Amino acid sequence: MIKRLQLRRVLALTLLVCVTFAGLGYRLVDLQVLRHDELAKLAQDNTQREFRQAPRRGDILDAHGNLLATSIPVKTVCADPSRIGNQQAVVAHTLAPLLQMAEGELYQKLFPRISKNEKGETVTNNLHYVRLQKNVTDETWQKIQLAMSQISFGVDEKKLSKTGREFLRNLRQNAIFADPDQMRVYPNGSLAAQVLGFSGVEEFKLDGRPVSQISGRDGIELALNSTLGGVAGWRVTETDRQQQELVALRDEDVQPRDGLNVVLTIDAAIQHNLEAALADAMQKHTPRSITGIILRPQTGEILAMASLPNYNPNTPATVTPETRNRVITDVVEPGSTFKIVVVSGALNEGAVKLTDEFDCEQGHFAFAGKILHDHEPFGLLTTEGIITKSSNIGAAKIGIKLGEDKLYDYASDFGFGQRTGILLPGEVGGILHPVKEWSKVSVAQIPMGQGVAVTRLQMLMAMAALANDGWLMRPMLVSRLEDRDGHVVQKYEPQRVRQVISEATDKQVVNVLKTVVSPEGTAPGAAMRDYIVAGKTGTAQKANPAGGYFDDKFISSFIGFFPADNPQVCISIVMDEPKEGYYGGLVCGPVFKEIAGRCASYLNIVPDENPGQPHLSRPIVASTKNKNNFQTP
Amino acid sequence: MAGNRKNQSAATWFGPAFGALFLCMLIAGSAIGYVWEKDEIFRLSQQISQRELRFGQLSKDNEKLKVTLADLRSPVMLDQRVRELNLGLAPAQPVQVWRLPEPSAAPANNYSTRQLAARQAGASRTQ
Repeated sequence: MIKRLQLRRVLALTLLVCVTFAGLGYRLVDLQVLRHDELAKLAQDNTQREFRQAPRRGDILDAHGNLLATSIPVKTVCADPSRIGNQQAVVAHTLAPLLQMAEGELYQKLFPRISKNEKGETVTNNLHYVRLQKNVTDETWQKIQLAMSQISFGVDEKKLSKTGREFLRNLRQNAIFADPDQMRVYPNGSLAAQVLGFSGVEEFKLDGRPVSQISGRDGIELALNSTLGGVAGWRVTETDRQQQELVALRDEDVQPRDGLNVVLTIDAAIQHNLEAALADAMQKHTPRSITGIILRPQTGEILAMASLPNYNPNTPATVTPETRNRVITDVVEPGSTFKIVVVSGALNEGAVKLTDEFDCEQGHFAFAGKILHDHEPFGLLTTEGIITKSSNIGAAKIGIKLGEDKLYDYASDFGFGQRTGILLPGEVGGILHPVKEWSKVSVAQIPMGQGVAVTRLQMLMAMAALANDGWLMRPMLVSRLEDRDGHVVQKYEPQRVRQVISEATDKQVVNVLKTVVSPEGTAPGAAMRDYIVAGKTGTAQKANPAGGYFDDKFISSFIGFFPADNPQVCISIVMDEPKEGYYGGLVCGPVFKEIAGRCASYLNIVPDENPGQPHLSRPIVASTKNKNNFQTP
Repeated sequence: MAGNRKNQSAATWFGPAFGALFLCMLIAGSAIGYVWEKDEIFRLSQQISQRELRFGQLSKDNEKLKVTLADLRSPVMLDQRVRELNLGLAPAQPVQVWRLPEPSAAPANNYSTRQLAARQAGASRTQ
């Protein structure tokens, strides 16, 4: 028989066990069910780490695969001030020379800064992180690691407590660390600077920690920023106490997608030749600026584009408003180079023939209450002679004969008043007012390049259309996009915009343009020994913001192509306020000749059979007997 | 009952003994397999880690060499070196270039009659 006392004891024990199990059961439910989310997150935060895997920014290459811009891996050196204790002076003294920083500045950075985060919690330097120096090379980082491992704090560490020794060990190993980063490098310095643009660093916060990435600021770097930039990946993994990854416990590993390489149509050697020639001209004529563009007229591929003064994209501090890419950002009145528009249009419409003669009024022509002038007095000139001699009055009379509407249509068809569509940021469309906004004199002024504002690129594209059987092309700067292994991802093809004039008319215009470099023309200095050159000079007075024009400030230009009958290269040279002469043919013609000569050698262009001296196809000065009875409308 | 088992034949208790042995071996094998798998995971993760480091290092070296190569091939640098070393190099002028006319496409069986372009009558210097 079980005694009553024993029964009570058994019951009490059973009750105790049941209560205990009930308590444990409640605790289990509490931990696993009621607080599951909170505790799961806490556990995950304690063990798991998520790392952003930055993509490599793509390279920019020239047409032959030469590197124009690339990214190299560097380190951003950081510190955890909470692990440095009161040893800031020793650490700063050790690292300052390696980081190339002032010791005082580094010393200040190593102190913990207490602040409140978004949740109102007190934190030290936002997750124990202070950035010390960017763009540190691997070699320097290795030296820093070595220096930190050997750093001496002037105490006998054997006599320190276990905690003290642990603190110093932690300081040496973990107080200074490095994040992987990239630095943009332009191996050719300022070569093609305005085309490539430059880059800066964009910062954002990821999990409360600052993350930096390279971002384009101008040029191709900006225009194709997302293509070059790529897409970041991530890795979810676990780390040990030394923050070393435990690869076996890696959970997610999404590799970044690197940015694509951009292959330009620019040829580094031609670009260098252009920039060298422009630099020489800059020294000789000391203009405010000088620009040059070299282009293949059949495809619109830009082989070189430069604007001086320029900058070195490796040091963005050298970028100023003066170093902008004036080829596409600045508009100017083109001057006489615009005569190609009116003459092409008039010939294409049959409004004039090459043999038609115009009275150039001995240099003074009154029209619509204004007096138009020539740079020297001319009598009768043929249409060809008007281009050869660059007569303003002759061009004005052709414009009047063509009519306002047609003149506007041809100017518009040649691409003026609208962007060319080049793949560069900052391009402007120029100014070509609609006919209803023209004054009475506009129809006479516009043919001589006044009353319109164009970019250097627009003017070159118009000339290139004449070198391409009248077809206007869209300028091409990017040839293709490639992945890192060189596989073509996207290829850009030449694009025709429209045929502005017929092929037959185009031949006539080209023949006329050949005479410009003849001894009778305005640019004999642009003639080449082995090639027939076609081109046009321009000497435009600069507009005065107060009204009228400056008498002593000019935009001088020469735009031409060669070989004239099978054009391979079209070149534009424009100087802003040159000294030592200002006529386009005089200052820009020789620069064209020099650049064209270098291009011909480099591109191995077949010389013309009989280049000889450019000659006129017919007399440019007509006799008075053949005078055209020109009537103004 | 115990006395009865003593009198049973060996065949009668061999079956359960074999079964027990098999179960033990299965459990032991699973345990060893588990440990081996963990060891293999650790070993492979070490390899992955080392190869990732190596790959990263090689990629970095590659980037540096690319930049060095770009420096060496830079037209600016080459031009400067030509001037420094006073090599007197200049682009070939058109008169210095010999141009050979393209040989006309000859039928395959007419190979013997083909001539080198340079010896053709039409071959001449352009200037």
